[in-house]
Amino acid sequence: MDVVLLFLMIVGLLLVGVPIAVSLGLSSIVFLLVFSETSLASVAQSFYQAMAGHYTLLAIPFFILASSFMSTGGVAQRIIRFAIAVVGHFRGGLAIAGVFACMMFAALSGSSPATVVAIGSIVIAAMRQVGYTKEFAAGVIANAGTLGILIPPSIVMVVYASSVEVSVGRMFLAGVIPGLLAGFMLMVAIYVIATIKGMPKGDWAGWREVGASFRDAIWGLLLIVIIMVGIYGIPGVTGAIFTPTEAAAVASVYAFIVASFVYRDMGPLADRDGAGKIALWKKPQALVTALFHPDTRATLFDAGKLTITLMFIIANALILKHVLTDEQIPQSIANAMLSAGFGKIMFLIVVNVILLIGGQFMEPSGLIVIVAPLVFPIAIELGVDPIHLGIIMVVNMEIGMITPPVGLNLFVTSGVAGMPMMKVVKAALPFLGVLFIFLIMVTYIPWLSTWLPTSAMGPEIITN
Amino acid sequence: MSQRRSFRGFEENAIALILGLMTAVTFVNVVLRYVFNSSLIWGLEVTLILFAWLVLFGISFAVRVTAHLGVDALTGIMPKRLAHGVALFSAAICLAYSLLLLKGAWDYWAPFAGLYQTEGRWFPVGFDETTRDRAFYVTDQVPMPGFLRFLEGLINQGEEYEKLPRVIPYAILPIGAALLLIRYVQATIRILRGESGTLIVSHEVEEEIDALAHSQKDA
Amino acid sequence: DPTKCDDGEIVMKFSHVTNTDKHPKGIAANLFMERVNAEMDGTACVEVYPNSTLYNDDQVLEAMLQGDVQFAAPSLSKFETFTKVFRIFDLPFMFKNMDAVEAFQNSPTGEAMKDAMVRRGLQGLEFWHNGLKQFSANKPLLMPEDAAGLKFRVQPSDVLVAQMEALNASPQPMAFSEVYGALQTGVVDGQENSWSNIYGQKFFEVQDGITETNHGLLDYMVVASVDWLDSLDPAVRDQVLTILAEVTDERNAAVAEVDNAARQAILDAGGVIRELTDEQRQAWVDAMKPVWSQFEADVGADNIAAAQEINASM
Ligand code: NA
Ligand code: NA
Repeated sequence: MDVVLLFLMIVGLLLVGVPIAVSLGLSSIVFLLVFSETSLASVAQSFYQAMAGHYTLLAIPFFILASSFMSTGGVAQRIIRFAIAVVGHFRGGLAIAGVFACMMFAALSGSSPATVVAIGSIVIAAMRQVGYTKEFAAGVIANAGTLGILIPPSIVMVVYASSVEVSVGRMFLAGVIPGLLAGFMLMVAIYVIATIKGMPKGDWAGWREVGASFRDAIWGLLLIVIIMVGIYGIPGVTGAIFTPTEAAAVASVYAFIVASFVYRDMGPLADRDGAGKIALWKKPQALVTALFHPDTRATLFDAGKLTITLMFIIANALILKHVLTDEQIPQSIANAMLSAGFGKIMFLIVVNVILLIGGQFMEPSGLIVIVAPLVFPIAIELGVDPIHLGIIMVVNMEIGMITPPVGLNLFVTSGVAGMPMMKVVKAALPFLGVLFIFLIMVTYIPWLSTWLPTSAMGPEIITN
Repeated sequence: MSQRRSFRGFEENAIALILGLMTAVTFVNVVLRYVFNSSLIWGLEVTLILFAWLVLFGISFAVRVTAHLGVDALTGIMPKRLAHGVALFSAAICLAYSLLLLKGAWDYWAPFAGLYQTEGRWFPVGFDETTRDRAFYVTDQVPMPGFLRFLEGLINQGEEYEKLPRVIPYAILPIGAALLLIRYVQATIRILRGESGTLIVSHEVEEEIDALAHSQKDA
Repeated sequence: DPTKCDDGEIVMKFSHVTNTDKHPKGIAANLFMERVNAEMDGTACVEVYPNSTLYNDDQVLEAMLQGDVQFAAPSLSKFETFTKVFRIFDLPFMFKNMDAVEAFQNSPTGEAMKDAMVRRGLQGLEFWHNGLKQFSANKPLLMPEDAAGLKFRVQPSDVLVAQMEALNASPQPMAFSEVYGALQTGVVDGQENSWSNIYGQKFFEVQDGITETNHGLLDYMVVASVDWLDSLDPAVRDQVLTILAEVTDERNAAVAEVDNAARQAILDAGGVIRELTDEQRQAWVDAMKPVWSQFEADVGADNIAAAQEINASM
């Protein structure tokens, strides 16, 4: 009962416009002061340890930073050019290329809104130019952008892995097949709609353009290779080089180098006032000045700011988690659900419903921090694979991102497309149906998530 | 005004610098391990401390620029007077949060600095002079920089610190909480004066979008 | 209700980092909980928070001094911050076998160590065994030279870092939860742990083999805050501490069994265990023992002498 009051307080505060982080934090503090003996200092300890005590969460600022360098550094345009060269000539080709580009950018970036911003801001404008409706374009990108958290790397997976202590590397592998499948399903849906409605198709620009655009995009796409080889190694050639967290830091450094010295779309070698890009050998001091260049500083700052707002929510969600644990709430909920005789199927339905409702109010990472420890013990008890559970949660978060009232992708898309949010909601609806079917598939076909990590890394061990 | 702007510049630079340092230390450790088979044994711990600093220092800045996420579905459709009242209520909630966080942060940090915790469960009603000193508590691996040796005499009864004492990294807690309180007081004043109507941004990345659209026009 | 905390009982939180049914520490904590809840029903009760759900080993001692948790059993190297005497337990080859460990911990020297942190606010109550540590790596380790150049994950302790450097190996700090993945993918080459942990964390699956070096000790100490203990009614305190002492005797006596079972389970699961000849073992001792002199001032020459005397008597 106390817990119901706690959750009502959180929702109530959210609805009157209190920041998400403060709603979570103040409700937890009040709960702690009223119902437990635990000190206020423990709240401060939880807050500090949310960062300093969670090594895996360290991947968040790094993946955000890598993604910022990728977006400002011109990687997105080059990926889109390549995507158009490959699939632009189909019926609905530019939309399909938009999904393809989102999938590729998702493999570089850990966040869905970042994917929408990077790809959407270019593709939506391009789609309108060749005659798509604004609504169709926005609907496609809002949906395809959600792949940012399903195709590895993924911030939401990092948060899940950290809260239930499963391997981040395993979670990343688990997202590969579902990510490809979801992208493919979206493309098929677009192709069907485009054929029925007679939507525009582009011209086949030839293999030469495929090759040229690929060569132009290769430096960006190489990052996928670096991350994957770095985390998993190449059998017979090298072992892994870094942990998933370190991979994110290496990705940031690589993206900075590509953006500043290869593409030269930012930093000291960039084109200023139409004077053209400067070759590095003409300005070798750029190797040092790039580190302090205003563009670098601005990118670091932007990524830092995003990290701060995200971690403020996660830290307060962790305070809530600490308070709930302190009062042994997860055990009582687990006992209640188990004694109610829940089976595996019923449990998964309940998890889906909780997350879909929670996703209407909460930011995905914060929601996962709270819900994962509540449902994890039950999942283990019922024999649900923790990795499978994680992917189900991620797909739920994807859907939460394109449904009101809190849908990060909706906000971003409405900003990028210059459309009112409710119009975006309507535009996203047909493709939301696709994601919903996909959620059901992922929920009831566990091997979609578990096959790849199990074959690559052996069976999951549950140490808890 | 110019003073305020320069502090904003300082905050922005600090945020960029901390994130840059975190990335650099982590990257260097990867290179050291893979190429040179060695490591900065303190690298991981320092990065984690910087991570905590980044966030705890930055949250007040994010209040200053109204960057914290929230839900405006309901407040957005309220009549203006009601919305103003609700915004003031939200501001009061945020003030209460930062006050409680500040007390918690002080109580947590003070023993590490050899200072007294406050008395009272939620409202500070004085100092607890029986607070047990925790100034001896050092970090796991962070080396003690020479310029901080004065702390040994100041708080550690002259005993030598082999590692950086925890009082230093944890200091960001009361500092961050105090800055947060100041920023929420300022935000409340802005709402009272009608200069601002909200504490949250729902359209989270608008600024980034603008920046991006801008940078693409340049490219 | 003799199985859980009821209104009006003194609630004692016990926070630890392992599972509740397979790990020696988790088993002992649960036994302690069951006995207190049954025998002190109506007066006091224990709530166990396993698996780092409430605090991990780094945070729990701070929380204990703060009064937010009443019992914890961190590994002995976590107490280095409080008093460097505890470094003696991390020194390589300090104890011949677990009997020597047991005898040392029960000796006046060991008893005195329980009180060594009282001025910092912590009271040591009981030593809980896990077992002796073994090395594992992604290549066979038979001589100390085999470890040279390899990257070993170690706990963040000065002694353990020095120990790896004495082997010319590279000590790597790493969160415990990352170790399995890092060993599997080759980010690090090896690690050191007790049989229970190597089995429980399935490290043997991702290593070439485990070398039975018995070179170090992985033990725990149950601690409580001095202030909290003082605040208890003496009768209640005595009963709790008596139960704790009995649980300790019972579980420490059984730990060799748990240890052997874990070792056997590794073999049954296809893991490779390499035993050392006397000469090989001596080579490891010769390589690592110089670490003692580095930390002699911290742990006290007399304490080292006491430990060696016990070894000799075994
Ligand atoms: Na991604
Ligand atoms: Na939503």
